[in-house]
Amino acid sequence: MAVTTANSEAQLQQTSTVADRWRAVRYLFLAFMALWLLFTLFPLYFMVITAFKSAAETNLTVPTFWPNEWFPQNFAGVFAEATNFNALVDSFIIATANTALALFLGSLAGYAFARFPKQAGGENLAFWILSNRMFPPVAILVPMFFLFDNTPWGTDSHLSLIILYLVFNLPLATWLMMVFFRDAPREIEEAAYLDGWTPMKAFVRVTLPLVLPGMISVAMLCWIFAWNEYLFANLFVGTDVRTYTIVIPTFTHGSQTLWNLQMAFSLIAMIPPVTMFILLRRYMVRGLSLGVVKG
Amino acid sequence: MADVTLTNVNKIYGEGPSAVHAVQDLNLKIDDGEFVALLGPSGCGKTSTLRMIVGLESISSGSVHFDDRNVSALEPQDRNVAMAFETYALYPNFTVEQNLAFPLEVRGFSADEQKKRAQNVAELLRITDLLDAYPPALSGGQQQRVSLGRALIREPDVFILDEVMSHLDAHLKFQMLFDLKRLHRELGRTMIYVTHDQVEALALSDRVAVMSNARLQQVGDRNTLYNAPANVFVADFIGEPPTNFFQAQAVESDGDLRLAVDDAKFTLHLSEKTRAAVKAHGGARFIAGIRPQNLTPATASDATSGQTTATLSAKVSINEYLGERSILTAHRGPVSFRALAPPETRSAPDEIVELAYDPANVMVFDPETEDLVH
Repeated sequence: MAVTTANSEAQLQQTSTVADRWRAVRYLFLAFMALWLLFTLFPLYFMVITAFKSAAETNLTVPTFWPNEWFPQNFAGVFAEATNFNALVDSFIIATANTALALFLGSLAGYAFARFPKQAGGENLAFWILSNRMFPPVAILVPMFFLFDNTPWGTDSHLSLIILYLVFNLPLATWLMMVFFRDAPREIEEAAYLDGWTPMKAFVRVTLPLVLPGMISVAMLCWIFAWNEYLFANLFVGTDVRTYTIVIPTFTHGSQTLWNLQMAFSLIAMIPPVTMFILLRRYMVRGLSLGVVKG
Repeated sequence: MADVTLTNVNKIYGEGPSAVHAVQDLNLKIDDGEFVALLGPSGCGKTSTLRMIVGLESISSGSVHFDDRNVSALEPQDRNVAMAFETYALYPNFTVEQNLAFPLEVRGFSADEQKKRAQNVAELLRITDLLDAYPPALSGGQQQRVSLGRALIREPDVFILDEVMSHLDAHLKFQMLFDLKRLHRELGRTMIYVTHDQVEALALSDRVAVMSNARLQQVGDRNTLYNAPANVFVADFIGEPPTNFFQAQAVESDGDLRLAVDDAKFTLHLSEKTRAAVKAHGGARFIAGIRPQNLTPATASDATSGQTTATLSAKVSINEYLGERSILTAHRGPVSFRALAPPETRSAPDEIVELAYDPANVMVFDPETEDLVH
């Protein structure tokens, strides 16, 4: 009897050490997550409070981590110049048109690579298209400027950036759509043909809905890239067309940077992508995991 | 409805030295309302054949006719064929009802008519309670029914079933066999059933077309395939357990022609007709075949019935008891073969058994062409 008790106590001891170890791992994990959250959220937090500070408070040598005085009028201040709102509109036009074009062309190209790899030029061509995204953008900055300068619409136009951003977004859209189309079973299209549908109609009615989650995530990625692009926008546009990214650095007063206005405008510019992301989150996660999980 | 005629159909994938001849000179006529199974091991060309009939694969040479209509060059949507897929191929983002009505939508049926017909087909297949469900939520058997329903909802000239039971468990399979047979009887459609499972093929169809190595080996009803297989492949492929084959030499003594099995020191008796056929064929070497079902332990009654049976003795190596029967694997010298025995057979390994067979059941094949001599 005594022996049994001793044994079970020893067992109890053992199980509790295992449980302790797991608890330690859990705490370690939580601590890491907390650190990581701090690291990613602090800039965002600082951006938000800066947007509500007065210009004087942003320039204190010892920064404040909570505004001494709230300055919501910063948000009205950024639109003191009416054309600043137009910058958001310009950005929106460029990002949306570019995304639509990238999706349209990318879906068709991706479908061709997925279903007719031989006729479409094979894996090598598909990879070459993806590789177009891998070079440093700065490398083509100047040549592209001269190239677009010779087009009828010039560099300072919506169209120039809409087309230029395809250099980055089309490879992405093509490649990802190819992966999604590969995962969509071919038999379903064949079933549609036998049901009497033409290939184009079957594509629209049957295949596209299947890859829609993927398409939405591709659209988000393309749109966010075009919305946030600064390097090319800064060089190409500025007079007739201005994207919001090149307007933000203009909030200065003499040699002083108006951090509060810059942050307020950034915060406004964050609203469209964040809203979209929240609304389409469900598709986004499904779309991005579609190609990965199934392999 | 229509009959289907395949004339000299060939399918060649690829070009040059790497080309694969998937279907070779296929000729087959399927009558209106007939149920024909296309049976063969995987890679024999049956799926290519089927895809050429429905138009998902181009025909390298030859032609496909539905009645008098040459459909060889038509797109699948213009052929009026319906097909149930091995993987069901249901539209995952449509409900069952939308899946069923999809072929009607493109043909311009009104919404009411679509609904009515979907309801009718659902009743036929007993899936009315599933009409609002989405395919991913259904079991394999239910999905299979929906896919059959989608194919049945319009009036196709030809109705094709591609390995539709290969993903169903044994119990469901049994139910589906019954349902398919019933559907065929009720609808009287021309049906082509593709399978690698001889049990399904023989149970369902009026005729079975056996394919192997890109060629059609034989077309016939089950008795023809079983009792008069065209060649060694068909004799081997149809029937379970498979036919015993022996390399043999024709020997004649006292006017009686027999086949002496190589290395085994026994001869197989032949029937009158077979002897005549073997003589007429000429040559000395043959492949003899006898089904395990036709080789059974000799009983006293065999001996009294006399003439028709012959016997051969062999040493048992394995006795597999399978419930309603036993399979004896026996050998004579280095040559081993199987025989079917009643379940109560107690033969232990190394026991000598006397096996009886009817000489009329010995099949003789040419060793070169492997075709049936008699």
